[in-house]
Amino acid sequence: MNFPRRRAVLGVTAASALLALTACGGNVGSDSSSGDFPSGPITLTVGQAAGGSTDLIARTMGAGISDQLGVPVPVVNKPGANGALATKEVAAMPADGSNLILLNASLITITPLAVSEDETVTLDNLDVIKGLSQDDYVMVASKESGITSLDDLKKSTKTLTFGTTGVGTGSQLAQALLLAQADIKGTEVPFDSGSPALTAVMGNQVQLSTIQLGEAKPQIDAGKVVPVVVFSDERNTFLPDVPTALEEGYDVPVSQYRALAAPKGLPEDVKAKLVDAVDKTLAEDSTKAFNEKNLLTPKEISGEEVVKQWNDLATKYKDLTEEYDIELSSK
Amino acid sequence: MDSLQPVLDGFGVVLDPTNLLYCLIGVVIGMLIGVLPGLGPAATIAILLPLTYGVEPVTAIIMLAGIFYGAQYGGTITSVLLRLPGEASSVVTVFDGYVMAKQGRAGTALGIAAIGSFIGGTVSIIGLTFLAPVVAGFALDFGPPEYTALALLGILLVATISGGSKIKALIAAAFGLLLATTGRDIFTGAERFTFGNLGMADGIDFVPIAMGLFGVGEILYNLEERHRAAAVPVKVANVWPSRADLKQSTGAIGRGSVLGFFLGILPGGGATISSMAAYAVEKKRAKDPSRFGRGAVEGVAGPETANNAAATSSFIPLLTLGIPANATMAIIFGALLIQGVTPGPQLIANDPELFWGVVNSMYIGNILLLIMAIPLVGVFVRILRVRGAILAPITALITLLGSYTIRNSMFDVLLVVIFGAVGYLMKKFGFEPGPLVLAFVLGSLLESNLRRSLLVLGGDVGGFFTRPISATLLVIFVVVALWPMVKAAFDRRKSSRHETSDNQEVKENA
Amino acid sequence: MKHKAKGAATETAPGPGGTAAASGAAAGVSGPQGGTDVEAVADEELTPEELAARWEEDAAPPAGPQANFWASLVTLAIGIAAMVLSVQLDLGTPAEPRPGMWPFLVSLVIAVLSVTQLVVGRRGGRDGEKFSKLSWLAAVGFATLLALVALMPLLGFEIPAVLLCFVWMKILGGESWRSSILYSLIIVAAFYAIFILGLQTTIPHLF
Repeated sequence: MNFPRRRAVLGVTAASALLALTACGGNVGSDSSSGDFPSGPITLTVGQAAGGSTDLIARTMGAGISDQLGVPVPVVNKPGANGALATKEVAAMPADGSNLILLNASLITITPLAVSEDETVTLDNLDVIKGLSQDDYVMVASKESGITSLDDLKKSTKTLTFGTTGVGTGSQLAQALLLAQADIKGTEVPFDSGSPALTAVMGNQVQLSTIQLGEAKPQIDAGKVVPVVVFSDERNTFLPDVPTALEEGYDVPVSQYRALAAPKGLPEDVKAKLVDAVDKTLAEDSTKAFNEKNLLTPKEISGEEVVKQWNDLATKYKDLTEEYDIELSSK
Repeated sequence: MDSLQPVLDGFGVVLDPTNLLYCLIGVVIGMLIGVLPGLGPAATIAILLPLTYGVEPVTAIIMLAGIFYGAQYGGTITSVLLRLPGEASSVVTVFDGYVMAKQGRAGTALGIAAIGSFIGGTVSIIGLTFLAPVVAGFALDFGPPEYTALALLGILLVATISGGSKIKALIAAAFGLLLATTGRDIFTGAERFTFGNLGMADGIDFVPIAMGLFGVGEILYNLEERHRAAAVPVKVANVWPSRADLKQSTGAIGRGSVLGFFLGILPGGGATISSMAAYAVEKKRAKDPSRFGRGAVEGVAGPETANNAAATSSFIPLLTLGIPANATMAIIFGALLIQGVTPGPQLIANDPELFWGVVNSMYIGNILLLIMAIPLVGVFVRILRVRGAILAPITALITLLGSYTIRNSMFDVLLVVIFGAVGYLMKKFGFEPGPLVLAFVLGSLLESNLRRSLLVLGGDVGGFFTRPISATLLVIFVVVALWPMVKAAFDRRKSSRHETSDNQEVKENA
Repeated sequence: MKHKAKGAATETAPGPGGTAAASGAAAGVSGPQGGTDVEAVADEELTPEELAARWEEDAAPPAGPQANFWASLVTLAIGIAAMVLSVQLDLGTPAEPRPGMWPFLVSLVIAVLSVTQLVVGRRGGRDGEKFSKLSWLAAVGFATLLALVALMPLLGFEIPAVLLCFVWMKILGGESWRSSILYSLIIVAAFYAIFILGLQTTIPHLF
């Protein structure tokens, strides 16, 4: 077989020409772009699967920031370990503003109570840009259980079963704390996510579950489940008639919060531009409507406040679980 | 149902040109997505959600639903042509569908799958139309004990379905169960078999395992086999099922529709179990069960019909109760919420136009799918004409690049390659990947629900038998498990009775 | 609708260039020419049963007793290892199972079945296939896949993919230099168009 030399030369030339195009728009290796920010697309990573509330929030914010800054903001889903995987990856990226992460508070405040040291994520290697919204948990009871209030719960003589949305979730923490503080006996039954937990309550497979408000509201409105208590600081505007655990005298403020963050070390001007873009997006009517539809309460606080609040919550939950001898997981 | 008027109004909605267009777009996108392994309908729908913001709710849902079952069919195409099951419910199709493709009957397989899917979907929609409220309540009665019983039945079916060495099939199935335990235990938070790797924290996903064992395993095997086997030419004869094939499949399609419809309603896992159940039923009913695994057309007709029927009926819990039955339904649920529509018990009452519009769009979508499948089958079959040496790297790259898109993770790609090697070795040593994958899917269902049942029942195992549904399922389990032995005993007695009657005849005639 | 389909689809495999199904037992690439092969098309169309029988005749020899022994041993070893790891996860009691209980039971089943298979299959049997010299092709294929996975994060997918295609077509597949290089570039360009431009995925890419 002949070795067509000409072809080989052509091939090699073509290959090297291709290699020379390395500078063109690839996403391999760190590209420290100096100059005006933003100089290219901004990747917004989400640590949850596509379609969930965190993902939808990310997409809304991404679209808004894209409009404001004039560059594409693609959303990339990297689910795994409740967001730990994605957060650690982004925290290790260069802090030039081209990589953002949408944070779930539970990863910082609750998950550390349930996982090992090396899986724990802290805000120390992140620069938080802005807090976004709050998503509350509500405890609902099945119609058949006959429970309509916290008093009913306390008076009950049966051992009740309580569904949670998994280990290390706000749902599990809130319920565990409430039961411990109110001295109620119950069996915790974990499910994979909110949906099966809610279904189980609807069918009276378990008597109670703590679910995120957005998921539970349609069933509450339809009268299929009865709201017992919410775990927010103040009464939730979407469920004004339901008391908070705090009101009832129990120290269980557990909510899910979301914030936008970047790797630590953002230059001041870059951060300012991002904060501005986010603020403008949050002010838009479409964002407000989005929050309404998904039953999110806006919590648009500055990055510094986010860090303070979340770290405070993390400490508080740690103290509470130790005080009441609660173990979210058996490590 | 009092009057059919809302249903007919619903047809009016669907036949609106915009809605028809969006239906077509959805089905086409769905099919393309289904053909590309890795990127599933769930992720696609999430990505395409913004497209739905600017249109009417009905139109949006029609498109999303189109993507959903378009993707189902796309998954079938890769199962048959490339031995790559796109979803858990397509795994069973691989058993006979891929063999049929090798025999030059890819067109038959794909055609039967299209027809079966159409009929299954249609039957399911009719069932939905008339039975939705009744059946929906049924779904709520399924608690952890019922799911445990169902999963047990599923595992039993896995053992029934596999050909070849039974012991090896069981070993493979047990490995599937073991693989399902990796990751964080949702009951205690303990990390099982993760070896400190964060990428394993949530366990292994179905898609890398299936793509590795079936797809890459087959590719590696073919690298060797292509050179070893003498050229046995096969005429790529037919591009559409023959009349005989159709006749042979009618029973399978009928049974598959019913099975799929009822099992699909159950939140979580209905489609996979329905495809397995359909295959098992067909194999048991067949006069010559040894044909299965060697290109029996019922082995494609039954499961494909069932999984499409199940996919359609999985809309029932969503639309009537507001409960999403699987990940894709959850996203459609979110899409509906964004549109300001709350799926649930009040949907039929508050917005009948939307409800019936969506339901009827599925009917139209199924027709569109069938119409498009006709020319497309011919196109896809041509893919098989490509030389093996060229097709191999293409398939390998599709699989690897596609697997990256599941979670945007290189770790998943590595898993696919590793499972590819495992799949190759399994084939060389005589183990089948089917039982492993199916048991994997059922494994987590079984363990989680078993433990949940113990919690819910307070440790009282008797509760399994006092609850009507789980008791029924367990009885079926026992029957199916013992049936072969009972049958064997019966046959022996029959043959001995024949012997004695023959002897008597001989005596009488003597 | 069905009639329409029947009318349109009377396609039979044309004679030359009608290479059939790409996989294993069917007609595949033969020699180093790589061009359109003129296969000896069977005169009669084989029924599926006949085809299956043909395949069985042509099939590679079964794996044999040694393979059975080693395979069973490997599964037994994995089963036992898993049992040990499960015990470390804490078994609990049947009424109150802990994380280790279920994996322990499953791996116990694996171990028991492996021993059974070791015994039952000691004379060989009809399943599996023996390894041959050609098995090295599969090993090379596997190695190239691993190389792709290793290089993708560093170089993007384009270059490793082109190399993989080339190796598979030229070395493992016996295609010509020209076809291999040409097709490799075309294929990777097509994937770039689909995955990067079309679907906008984030697969590591250099360009």
